[in-house]
Amino acid sequence: MKKFFYKSSVLALAAGVLLTSCDPEIDSPDPSSGTADFSSYLAVGNSLSAGYADGGLYREGQLSSVPAILADQFEEVGGGEFVQPLFSEAQANGTGYLRLVGFTPQGAPITQPVTTNLAIRGLTSRNTPLYTKFTGNINNLAIPGIRVADINTGGYSSAQGNPYFERLTDNATQTYLQYVQAQAQAANHTFFSLWMAENDVLSYATSGGAFSGGMLNSPAQIITPVNTFSQNYTELVNALTAGGKEGVLVTIPDVTAIPFFTTVGNSVKQLLAANKIPAVVALTGSGSSRIVITPAQIDAAEGGVFFPLTASAYAPLFGTRTGRYWRLLARQVSSSQDPVTVNATLAGILANYQIDTTQLFGLSAGNPLPSALVLDAAEQKNIKDATTAFNDIIKAQAAAKGLALWDAYSYFNSIKTGFVKNGVAYSPSFITGNLFSLDGVHLTPRGNAIAANEIINAINAKYGSNVPQVDETQFRAVLLP
Amino acid sequence: MKSKLLAFLGSALLSGTAMAGGYQVNLASQRQIGMGHTGTGIQTGTSSIFFNPGALSYIRENGVTIGASAISSHIAYRGIEPTSVSAEADNDFGTPFQVYAAYKVDDMLTVGLGIYTPFGSGVKWGDQWSGRFALNQIDLQAIFFQPTVSYKIGDKLGLGVGFVVATGAVNLQRAVPVQNQDGTEGSIELDGSAKTGFGVNVGAFFQATEKLSIGIDYRSKIDLEVEEGDVIFSNIPAAARGSFPDGAQFSAQLPLPATLTLGVGYQVNDQLTLAADVSHVGWSEYESLRFNFDKPVAGSNFSESARNYEDAFIYRIGAEYQLNEKLALRGGAYYDQTPVQDGYLTPETPDADSRGLSAGIGYAITESFGVDASFLYINKKKRTDSAEASRSIAGTYKATAYIPGIALNYKF
Repeated sequence: MKKFFYKSSVLALAAGVLLTSCDPEIDSPDPSSGTADFSSYLAVGNSLSAGYADGGLYREGQLSSVPAILADQFEEVGGGEFVQPLFSEAQANGTGYLRLVGFTPQGAPITQPVTTNLAIRGLTSRNTPLYTKFTGNINNLAIPGIRVADINTGGYSSAQGNPYFERLTDNATQTYLQYVQAQAQAANHTFFSLWMAENDVLSYATSGGAFSGGMLNSPAQIITPVNTFSQNYTELVNALTAGGKEGVLVTIPDVTAIPFFTTVGNSVKQLLAANKIPAVVALTGSGSSRIVITPAQIDAAEGGVFFPLTASAYAPLFGTRTGRYWRLLARQVSSSQDPVTVNATLAGILANYQIDTTQLFGLSAGNPLPSALVLDAAEQKNIKDATTAFNDIIKAQAAAKGLALWDAYSYFNSIKTGFVKNGVAYSPSFITGNLFSLDGVHLTPRGNAIAANEIINAINAKYGSNVPQVDETQFRAVLLP
Repeated sequence: MKSKLLAFLGSALLSGTAMAGGYQVNLASQRQIGMGHTGTGIQTGTSSIFFNPGALSYIRENGVTIGASAISSHIAYRGIEPTSVSAEADNDFGTPFQVYAAYKVDDMLTVGLGIYTPFGSGVKWGDQWSGRFALNQIDLQAIFFQPTVSYKIGDKLGLGVGFVVATGAVNLQRAVPVQNQDGTEGSIELDGSAKTGFGVNVGAFFQATEKLSIGIDYRSKIDLEVEEGDVIFSNIPAAARGSFPDGAQFSAQLPLPATLTLGVGYQVNDQLTLAADVSHVGWSEYESLRFNFDKPVAGSNFSESARNYEDAFIYRIGAEYQLNEKLALRGGAYYDQTPVQDGYLTPETPDADSRGLSAGIGYAITESFGVDASFLYINKKKRTDSAEASRSIAGTYKATAYIPGIALNYKF
């Protein structure tokens, strides 16, 4: 019996040795940089590259920005340090952002702005915030809100310009293109990403085309003329490729497919059905022309009408005698907050758009829905035409300079109906789709990781490299209360 | 909005559901494991209760056998290139066991009882790996009790039938893709015991010549049914708790497929016995895995995902060499086809065609008391799968297992 136990323990011991030494292994693919050189990477772009999310720029978003994720992966193939203009941990909440605190009984999300630990250092003459400076040399040059149209605009780096740019430089007269050139020289970059063209159509889209001309014309909310776009974009690419540098360009997704436009329509439809309202009246474009919208048109694939997230606050006011939207707008555009001035502004606006706020809001030609709360078919066509034209320019540049291209337009079109990765369902739906953050425009950290993996695919295809993709499940989606 | 939220989380849940796949555990006798788990075409002693009840009537003495194996299996995972994501399942030591008792009523009639564990699965990926929304860990157990009657018709033919009473339990855990404000992910655990299931194990054994024997054995399908299993959620954010209600229960059904085995044995001489088996396993019974819930979970009363297993064959060879009166040496090998089709791979059963190599010894300590020890090495082929049809975790999987085992037997 003793002998037997001895034997079995020897057997177990032998087995144990075998176990630890013979675990199964799968050969890992060798990371390689192919014909590209990732040693110094420079990112140029807008909010999508800055890590902007949930309606704000804050440290967590910055840390999981698409360029930051790319830079991490580039490290596997010789990539060097990647400096971002991070907000400090003490001011981690940066500009502030939206947090989800609950849902209404109808299921609409309730958000709350985060107002602590901000990086606000002062206010401009217009009472808009200025942020804590970060003027050192950096690798992520992305500026939330910037358009290709803005890169040669003088004063864009001043307090009157873009606050996100203002925080990066002490030179108030430097254009963005000049800034990029200076930073490119400092970094002596070997690789770049350029993902910038969204706002050249997006600001028009999110404001429903309401300010692209007419009385309240706002140059920042028009669609960039194709010639301007072409000229500026080419200049930017030339600056980044000077000396034969390699990089990746990104096309503009269909901005009308983001949750900002696809979420509210359904509840408006239900509201109209519940109250047996056959149609609503809205302003179109920047003038005073009215259009009639039937429920069938809402969110329709062809000739449809979208309601942006900004419309959700006004949906409960349908059919009431209200001028709330116009009052708030007057306050916003008025040269001073003095009640007399505001009232004079309001009267001017109402006269211009022929609004009678004693009529039923949205249901009467006298008190139509404001154009900014509706993205109608004509406006969508303008966006589509511009997007196509801009993307053609981007693709042509990629081809001409031999750069990698991530066609974000095709990619986001291909996932409209959703997909499953690693057991998680994704779609461009608000909150539940896991890809888009609480502002309905920008991606979640998870969405950034998925986008970064697509960009890595495009880079690998072009340069014969084997940059490893990131595990997207290590990045969060929307945080629930 | 909320109902939409539910629907989406529902599809997320669906996408990863699963319990187990090629979850047969062929470790029914330490002597036979040493011989590549052959045994239908030869007399195997008390374990004929499992391999071929028809051969049980050939035992010469009453006997009791108690044995167990310790499975140490490891699975390596790597995501589809160019990702560098990798993981390893460090699985618990599973311990399949077997108990057989046989009593010779007379020369012709033998009765017996077998208790064994022919199905089961234990895989532990942990809650950090990239596939955790499909599976963290699974533990599936099934125990069969089999009273058996075997009758010898003349010297050449033995017939036997066993009535199988089966029970089991399942525990499955995975992450739920909802996150708290601090980023903690939710999780779900399905835990349930199976109702008693019934089946048969019938066999015929034919001693064709002094040297050649043939056997055929059929073990019927048994459905392992869980009713009122517990659905336990953890770390679900308050806003999503309506979709993942406390106190939900589930029911599910898992087929334990029928196995038809044809075996031959050849007694080369007094020392050397050769055996070969071919088994057909009716895996095609396993079409989908469906959990029914008594209240909506993630907006749905059920969660179902396709499995569409295919029937599979297992080929086995084995040999025993009686070195002297006390010591027997054994060796064997087998090839086990995977029932999992391309596109249907899941992390609970990252199955592939597998090759088994075995060795064993038998030692008679006294005339009535003996010990059998075995060692089995299983090497599953490396398999890369898109997991598109199972909507599960795409990647490359490679599994190996080391299975030492020991049994004591007593004859009287």
